[in-house]
Amino acid sequence: MRKWSLRLVWRQMDVQIRIRTLNWYTLLIFILQPAIFSGVGILLSRAAGNPVPNLVYTVIGGGIMGMWSGLVFTSTFDITRDRRDGTLELIVGSPTSLGMVEAIRTFTNVVAGLFSLGAAFLVAMLVFHYSLVGIDYVGALVSLFLIMFAMWCIGVFLANFIAWSRLTGAVADLLEIPVAVLCGFMYPVSVLPGWMQAISAFIPIRWALQALDASLLGNSSPTLLLQNWTFAVLLSLLFWALSRWLEGKVHDRIRITGELNSI
Amino acid sequence: MDSFAIEVRSLNKTFTTKQGFWNRKTKTTVAVEDISFCVERGELFGLLGPNGAGKTTTVKMLSTLLLPTSGSATVLGLDVTRDTHKVRQRIGFTFGGARGLYGRLTALDNLRYFAELYGLEPSVSSRRIPELLELVGLTGRGDDRVETYSSGMQQRLHLARALLHDPELIFLDEPTVGIDPVGARELRSMVKNLVAMGKTILLTTHYMAEAEELCDRIAIIKKGRIVALDTPVALKQHISGDAVIEVQIKNESAALVLECLHALGGQVSIQVIETPPLQSISIRTAEPGVVMEKLAPFLNPQLIQGLEVRNQTLEDVYVAIIQGDKA
Amino acid sequence: MIRLLRRYLRLYVLEAWFSYRALFAWSTPFAYLATKLGFPFFTMLLFVFMGKFVGISDPLYIVIGNILLLPSLNGLSGVSMTIGNERQFGALSYLLGSPAPRGPIFLGRALFHILDGLITVMVALPVAMLFFHLDLAQANFALLFFCVLLIAFSSSGMGFILGSISLVTRDGWMITSTLAMALYILVGVNFPVDLLPGGLELLSYCLPMTRGIMAARQALAGAAWVSVAPLIYGEALVGALYTLAGYNLFLFIEKRSMALGSLDAL
Repeated sequence: MRKWSLRLVWRQMDVQIRIRTLNWYTLLIFILQPAIFSGVGILLSRAAGNPVPNLVYTVIGGGIMGMWSGLVFTSTFDITRDRRDGTLELIVGSPTSLGMVEAIRTFTNVVAGLFSLGAAFLVAMLVFHYSLVGIDYVGALVSLFLIMFAMWCIGVFLANFIAWSRLTGAVADLLEIPVAVLCGFMYPVSVLPGWMQAISAFIPIRWALQALDASLLGNSSPTLLLQNWTFAVLLSLLFWALSRWLEGKVHDRIRITGELNSI
Repeated sequence: MDSFAIEVRSLNKTFTTKQGFWNRKTKTTVAVEDISFCVERGELFGLLGPNGAGKTTTVKMLSTLLLPTSGSATVLGLDVTRDTHKVRQRIGFTFGGARGLYGRLTALDNLRYFAELYGLEPSVSSRRIPELLELVGLTGRGDDRVETYSSGMQQRLHLARALLHDPELIFLDEPTVGIDPVGARELRSMVKNLVAMGKTILLTTHYMAEAEELCDRIAIIKKGRIVALDTPVALKQHISGDAVIEVQIKNESAALVLECLHALGGQVSIQVIETPPLQSISIRTAEPGVVMEKLAPFLNPQLIQGLEVRNQTLEDVYVAIIQGDKA
Repeated sequence: MIRLLRRYLRLYVLEAWFSYRALFAWSTPFAYLATKLGFPFFTMLLFVFMGKFVGISDPLYIVIGNILLLPSLNGLSGVSMTIGNERQFGALSYLLGSPAPRGPIFLGRALFHILDGLITVMVALPVAMLFFHLDLAQANFALLFFCVLLIAFSSSGMGFILGSISLVTRDGWMITSTLAMALYILVGVNFPVDLLPGGLELLSYCLPMTRGIMAARQALAGAAWVSVAPLIYGEALVGALYTLAGYNLFLFIEKRSMALGSLDAL
């Protein structure tokens, strides 16, 4: 297969941003939808008698929701749209592997998701006067990087899964909210029953997010961060390895069924 | 180096689908059945057949987009299932229709994108892209969004895209479908130029005149099987007779004329089409003079409304083969 | 007159059925359940745990609200995507180029989505009984199912408005998707609407579904028809107004699309 190059990465990112991202409606997914989740969180707090919500989980958690929702949405949309537009055939038929194209697209989608997080931080700071005093900046930045890495690895795995067939595409779309539930995007994982916490232990985003939350709440310790980071990295690499394995299978499978251009 | 650009041996493709909601039934469709053919380097080879005959399936197998169920095929000496990556580097392909381009991007951006997928260096693509736009007649329209293009322009852009990496072999699947006659003529002219440049082309088409004009050899495919393969001239001679007499006659007189013609027996092959209030009788024969002699008594404007004597066209051959008159 | 009515009725029902099957047929029961129930179920779980985190120990308010939102998702998304999907599949020109009257054809498209909404709720209620110990012993089922049908009907009116927008933009379904998410805040699904800030509370009462969900909650608690009558009348009125507005907007945009040539542009 054709080796990756910075030029290929740049070109693919450029196309991806112009077709998918720089689109008023895509911004709805990245900004409005997470705002809605945060809004529900804030109003649930009020319903419970807490006029001031927990900003890390309720507001910034909404930003994480936006990153993740945006990623799943654009990844599903990319393949479906390519199928419908007939460009999937042309990409598969080129010397550049579909896996590489999907990897770069997913990376672009993850980076674009920072819109959500940035917007969430702005709202937290400007509207709710969230203070950055006492935050573990290094811990937060590393954890954020690992969240992006974890989302990228899972995103690439999902992209291959989606390309497998139209049915698996529908299933992959459904995984958006379960992952948010299990990884504690908008609440600490300790809120979940034990068996759900056990399942979430296999999702790398959960560990990176735990580290981020601890850093933002000022509760982090080196041991805690290191433990969470280690799990995040190892599990992300596992997903990445699964993606590589699935890539070859997908390539053969879609050429057997001929579903490259069927909607 | 293999002498053949394409070599297909007993290629088969079967699709299995499931239908139904509760009680799912498996349905098997044989799209291509046991086809074999070879295409010489530098040849323009045509694949003709009705809709659903298996032309596009065959092209997709050869362009590595579909895996054959059984059989083998090599393209430029490379196996299409084992050497997929190498094959893709050396072939180009287009499928008819407006799909397959990013409408929101300009033509230039689309070409740059695909150039990158084919690993072209910027120095090469920056030179090649304007050349190709000129070749396909889209100079000056490179900065327009593809969604503003007509279908003919999009098809030409597809051709430019397929030629980006200067492939040796090009698959053109119904390249003129939905294109106006002038646009189609221009496209055919481009195809001829490509052959003159030494490219090998496998073309599928519905348009007989196009196949006859362009192709060195033609394979006719019907229900997944190749039923005829030869040069256009040889194909025409293969069918009984090399002349066609078309007669439009009033319904009430048709029976009498047909009786006279049937008396000629195996010398003629007759096809009748009802076009009320007339009947169109198409007579293929190697002895047009004998047939005209039989028709002479009826050459009366009250009876015969139209008469044409012409050479047999590829369309006649195709119709005869597909309808099973002669194989 | 009778013949005309019969023709309209046939168009209304048959068109609706063919459209539903053509555009929304699921290939397997799994795909149907996953799409109809899977996504809403997990979204509801997310809100339940968010509520638990802030101290709401009894999740039933959230669970019931999310179940009652299901028919509106059918009405809203199903109807709006009907028009958008016709355009995507290239059938819209043929439909609008036919002499068939617009009323039965497009209003009829809501029919099976409304029925679908009822089925979805009937499947969701036992699930809630199993997982969340929802007690239906007191429920007024006739009133409840009527409210569900009403919610589906009134939200389909909004679906027509959004579907009309699909005639002028290829990404109308994204607007629909975002609006569907906004319902989780605006129509009393996860908390009473009186918790909303002033302007949003007013907006909530202007939307379909709000009164229907209130009435349905009371039906689950065993209320009689007479006690929820004002809510039902209000919901029916709002639904009718949205349907009328959607239908007229569709006709207006259809004419504009024909003038601009944007009908089949994707």
